[in-house]
Amino acid sequence: MTVKSKPLPVAGVKRRKYSREYVQENLELYAIMIPVLILIFLFCYLPLYGLLISFQNYQPGDPFLAFDGSIEWVGLKHFTKFISGKYFFRLIKNTFVLSFLNIAVGFWIPIIFALLLNEIHNLRFKKLIQTASYLPYFISSVVVAGMVLSFIEPNGLVNHLLGIFGVPPKAYAMEPKYFAFIYTFTNIWKSFGWNSILYISAISSIDPSLYESSRLDGANRFQNIWYMTLPSILPTISIMLVMAVGSVLAFNTDLILLLYNPATYKTADVIGTYIYRDGLESGNFSFASAVGVFTATINFILVFAANWISNRLTNYGLW
Amino acid sequence: MKRKGNIYYDGSRIGNCLICITATILAFICVYPMYYVLVLSLSSPKAAIAMNTYLIPDGLHFDSYRVIMKDMTMWRAYGNTLLYVSITTVLMLVTCVLAAYPLTSSRLAGKKWLTVYLLIPMYFGGGLIPTYLVMSKLHLYNNIWAIILPGCFSIWNIILTRTYFISIPESLREAAKIDGASHFQIMTRIYLPVAKPIIAVIAIYTIVGTWNSWFNAMVYLPNPDLQPLQLYLRRVLVQQTVDLTKLPMEEVEAAVIRNMSNVQLKYAMIIFTTLPVIFAYPFFQKHFVKGVMLGSLKG
Repeated sequence: MTVKSKPLPVAGVKRRKYSREYVQENLELYAIMIPVLILIFLFCYLPLYGLLISFQNYQPGDPFLAFDGSIEWVGLKHFTKFISGKYFFRLIKNTFVLSFLNIAVGFWIPIIFALLLNEIHNLRFKKLIQTASYLPYFISSVVVAGMVLSFIEPNGLVNHLLGIFGVPPKAYAMEPKYFAFIYTFTNIWKSFGWNSILYISAISSIDPSLYESSRLDGANRFQNIWYMTLPSILPTISIMLVMAVGSVLAFNTDLILLLYNPATYKTADVIGTYIYRDGLESGNFSFASAVGVFTATINFILVFAANWISNRLTNYGLW
Repeated sequence: MKRKGNIYYDGSRIGNCLICITATILAFICVYPMYYVLVLSLSSPKAAIAMNTYLIPDGLHFDSYRVIMKDMTMWRAYGNTLLYVSITTVLMLVTCVLAAYPLTSSRLAGKKWLTVYLLIPMYFGGGLIPTYLVMSKLHLYNNIWAIILPGCFSIWNIILTRTYFISIPESLREAAKIDGASHFQIMTRIYLPVAKPIIAVIAIYTIVGTWNSWFNAMVYLPNPDLQPLQLYLRRVLVQQTVDLTKLPMEEVEAAVIRNMSNVQLKYAMIIFTTLPVIFAYPFFQKHFVKGVMLGSLKG
C-alpha cells in the first residue's frame, strides 16, 4: 500500500497499479475490514503474545514483555516442574484414557450409524430417526450434565431401572471407577448423530449405478457395504480420524468440568481441567500457561504423526 | 427414489427388520432422557417423589412450572441470555460480511498477507490463561463484552462467507462501480441480499452456540447479575447450590411447594430453558445440515 509518486520503469501496468484510484479503493476496502482485523488482533494475537508468560514468573498486573529488567525470566522451569510434578502421570493417563475411549468407541459409532441409515429404504422413517439422533447435540452441556448427574443419583433413573434387575443402588457420581464410562457414554450420546451427517452425505454421493452392477454380480448386503460403501467413504474416514487423533489432548473439557467432582479427580482430572483449576482458581498463571504450551506442542506432533500414517496407509490425509 | 428401493431387494426381510429395530432403539436412546424429564416434570408431585413414572405422566400437573415461574433469578438470567444472544448474532453477521467482502476483490493489496493473518489463529491459540490475562488487561473482566466480543467473530465463518461471495461475478461489482457506487454500497445493496442463505446458516449456528455456551461466562463474569441462563442452570443442576424448593414464596404457594421434590422442579426448569432450542430445531435442521456440508467442502 505504498504510494509511488514517481512513474516506474515498466510504465503501463505498474503505474496504473499504484494509481490514485487504486490507493483510494484499497483505503475503502481496508476501512471496511479494519474493525474485524482489530478484533482478531485483540482476541487471537494478543493471547498468543501472552504465551511469553510461560517462561516467566508472571505476577498479575505485570506486562507480558518489558526490557527494563523488571521481568523475571525462568526459562523452562515451569515445564520441568510440571513433568516432575506429582500429578503429571495421573493427568497424562486420564487424558489419554478418556480420549482413547472416545476415539476407540465414539469414532466408529457415527460411521456404523450412517451405514445403518443407508440400509433403511422408507424415507420418512429414515428422516425421523435422523431427526431424533441430532436432538442431543442441541441440548446444552450444562443441561446434559445436569440430567446425567440426576439420573445417576442413588435415587435416580438409572438406579431405579437397575433395581428391577436386583442391582443395589449406588452413588455412581462419587465413584472414580465409573467416571470413564459415564463420560464416554454421555459424550457419544450427545454427538454421534451429529457426527454421522458427514458420512451420510458422503454415502449419498456414491453413484447408485455402482450398486446396481454389484447386485447383478450377486453381491449381498455385507459385501456391498464392505467392498463398495466403505471404500467410497474412506477419504472422509481418514480425515476425520486424523482430526480426532489431533485433538487427543485438547478435547472438549467442558463436559468433564461439569461432570467431575473432587471425589472423582483420580480418574477424571485431565490436563484441560487442571489448567483451569491451577491457573484460574489458584492463580498460578505462568505454570498453567506452560502446561498449555506443553500440551499444544504434543498435540501438534500427534497431528503430524497421524497424518503421516494416514497418508501411508490410505493415501488420504489432511495435507 | 423407487429405483433406490430396488437396489437392495436382495437384502433379506429379516435383515431389514433388524436394521429398523436397531435404528429405532438408537433413536429412542437419543430422545428418551429428555422425554423422561418432561414426563416427570408433568407428573403429580407424589409420583415425582416416588419416581415411578417412566413413559406416561399420571395426568398433567403444571404446579412445578408455576413454581419456577416465580424464580426471579431465572428470569434475570433468561433476559441476560436473550441480550447476549441477540447482540452476538447481529455482530457476528456484521463481522462476517465486513471481513469477507474485501477479500473477494481482486484489487485488494496484500491479500496474501491477510489470508495468512486469518489462517494463523485457526491453528494456534493462546489458550485459556493468556486469553484470561488479555481480557483483564483490556478491562473486560466482569463486563458483558467479555463474552460478546470474543464470540462475535469467527474466522471459520468469515471464510465460509467469502467462499459464498466469490460465486458472485466480479463484473456485477465493476458495473456498479461505473455507476458510481462505493464499495460499502455494493456490499450492502448487492452482496448482502445474495448471501441470504449463508447468513441464515451462520445466524442459526451462532444463536444456538451462544444460547448453550457457559464456559466463558463462568471465567469472565463472576457477578451473578450478569450471568447467562446456562450458568444459573449450572448452579441449580450441577453444583446444586440453589435449592428450588426454598424459593421465596407467598404462603399459599409455599404449601404447594412443600409437597414438591427438588428433582421435579429441576426437571421443569430443564424443560422450560431448553424449550426454545428444542422447538426451533426441527425447523432449523435443514440449515444446520447445510452448514455441516459447507464446512466439509472447505475442510
